Amino acid sequence: MSAHSVTSSSGAPLHAIMAEFPNPAVVSHAAEKIRDLGYSKWDVYSPFPIHGIDEAMGLKPSRVSFFAGAGAISGITIALLMQWWMSAVDYPMVIGGKPYFAWEQYFPVTFELAVLMTSISAIVGMLTLNGLPLLHHPMAKKERFLRVGDDRFIIAIEAADPKFNADDIRKLLADLGGEHIDEVEE
Amino acid sequence: MSTVNLRHDLILADDNIRLREGAGRGLSIALLGLGALLTVLAVLGAVAGDALTARTALFALHTGFILSVAFPLTALVLVMIFHATNAGWSATIRRQFENIASLIWIAVPFFFGILILQAVLTATKGEGGSIPYLWKWMNAAYVEGDPAFEHKRGYLNYGFFLVRSLIYFAIWIGLSFALNSISRRQDEDGDPKHTITLGRLSCIGLPFLAFSIAFAGFDWLMSLDFHWFSTMYGVYLFASCMVLSVALGTLTLITLSSFGKLAVAFTEEHLHDLAKLLFAFTVFWAYIAFSQYFLIWYANIPEETMFFQVRRAEPWTGLSVAIPIAHFILPFILLLPRPLRRSRGFISFMCVYLIIIQMIETYWMIRPEVYGVGPWHWLDFVGIVGPVAIFLGLFVAKVASGPLIPLKDPRLHEALKHKNHI
Repeated sequence: MSAHSVTSSSGAPLHAIMAEFPNPAVVSHAAEKIRDLGYSKWDVYSPFPIHGIDEAMGLKPSRVSFFAGAGAISGITIALLMQWWMSAVDYPMVIGGKPYFAWEQYFPVTFELAVLMTSISAIVGMLTLNGLPLLHHPMAKKERFLRVGDDRFIIAIEAADPKFNADDIRKLLADLGGEHIDEVEE
Repeated sequence: MSTVNLRHDLILADDNIRLREGAGRGLSIALLGLGALLTVLAVLGAVAGDALTARTALFALHTGFILSVAFPLTALVLVMIFHATNAGWSATIRRQFENIASLIWIAVPFFFGILILQAVLTATKGEGGSIPYLWKWMNAAYVEGDPAFEHKRGYLNYGFFLVRSLIYFAIWIGLSFALNSISRRQDEDGDPKHTITLGRLSCIGLPFLAFSIAFAGFDWLMSLDFHWFSTMYGVYLFASCMVLSVALGTLTLITLSSFGKLAVAFTEEHLHDLAKLLFAFTVFWAYIAFSQYFLIWYANIPEETMFFQVRRAEPWTGLSVAIPIAHFILPFILLLPRPLRRSRGFISFMCVYLIIIQMIETYWMIRPEVYGVGPWHWLDFVGIVGPVAIFLGLFVAKVASGPLIPLKDPRLHEALKHKNHI
């Protein structure tokens, strides 16, 4: 609820304070400073992936790989159980003199299903962790923010941050080289 | 963003990129002595024992020969891939792989040693020509009237076999000599044109290298049982042996940096990429090995299944079950987490582990052809470790003999600030 206790100059609930940066080097440097000051609810918006920005923002390694791993293990399990049930339990059939449950024969399907489940769960995991799909984002209301898809770099520190103080942040962003510092309403 | 301080004069300082005079000489002499001793023991065991013991010893020595050729041969592949793909990150670590590859000449004395030993044993313990020692098809009396052999007579005959082997040696020694000498010439004159020459040479040489490796596999290993055939044997041999040179090179780099050499030139980032290569070749091996097994299992044709039939039966069952677990499942799981791939201690353990596993697998590929003698005969150890120790002794001396990185490679700056972002 702390997010809504902060209001913008016009009285509407405040989402964040944003600032524009001219290039990746400046925005990376600014991110390092904001990280070191201990802010937790903030983000960098960029038209392209910046090498080293994860480290500069202090982001933890992505947890998507756990989703992928879980998908792989369930894919292998499901595929083996399915094929075992189909060809050794439900409708046993001798093919080429091989045993009913011949693991060699089940390997390709097992592999394919493992790959399929891995990729699906990685995508679902990525979307979940990113909070997607998202119907609307307060940042999208800002005309200047839209240029982030073109040639602008933006840092926004959100009102939900426990250390949020509008005046401090305005000053901080300006010191770090931010331009067009603006309020983003909820 | 990069926090590494790129002081070229410090990185290229002599105490960072050169070993002191006489470094590693003790280790090299010890390895050479051990290797010579074990090889002589294996030869003596072969000469003194009965026919079956002689066969065991000869097969063990053959395994040792294949392994000590596989190290430089796969290193040559790696160096050529680095050049062909213009891999900037590899510029600082390439020299160690060149060092491994430069020892490819070792194939010649070992190969002729094996041939001579086979001839001597066949002459002295021939038992009326009924037991040809290594390559059964070389015995005219043995293959007389064998319909499976009649088809292969045009390819599998002694003269053509020798000619082919000489062609392989010419390709390998030629490529390794050219790549090494051009790379070392660049150390002196720093001409960037050499890098282009090396890239072109690698692109042209790689197909020749690939085919010669595949055919050497057919000739030296697959034809041990000339009834059997597998068209993917060449790539199977390549896939399994690649891990040898990656592991040995990585181990060398870790060892050198633990002695305070190669600061900045060999970092966690290079280690990470080498560990990825280890991981890749373990997975590639599993893919190829399973594909070969799967096709033969499915078709179920007697001549083809022989290979696996022998190895699935006692006394080889244990090894056949252990190898997929030890060579694929364990390394796959262990090399997956990023922090482990960036740990020097863990990766050096994995390198030693994978080299040992690969030695056991090559042994498993070759030795079951000796019927009647189970695994782990004492001659197996001396015959395999002997030639490999000789190779390692020569390698240690080679590493100490020159600068540890290519001094004037134009891609050096790329390698020095190499970083893995994922």
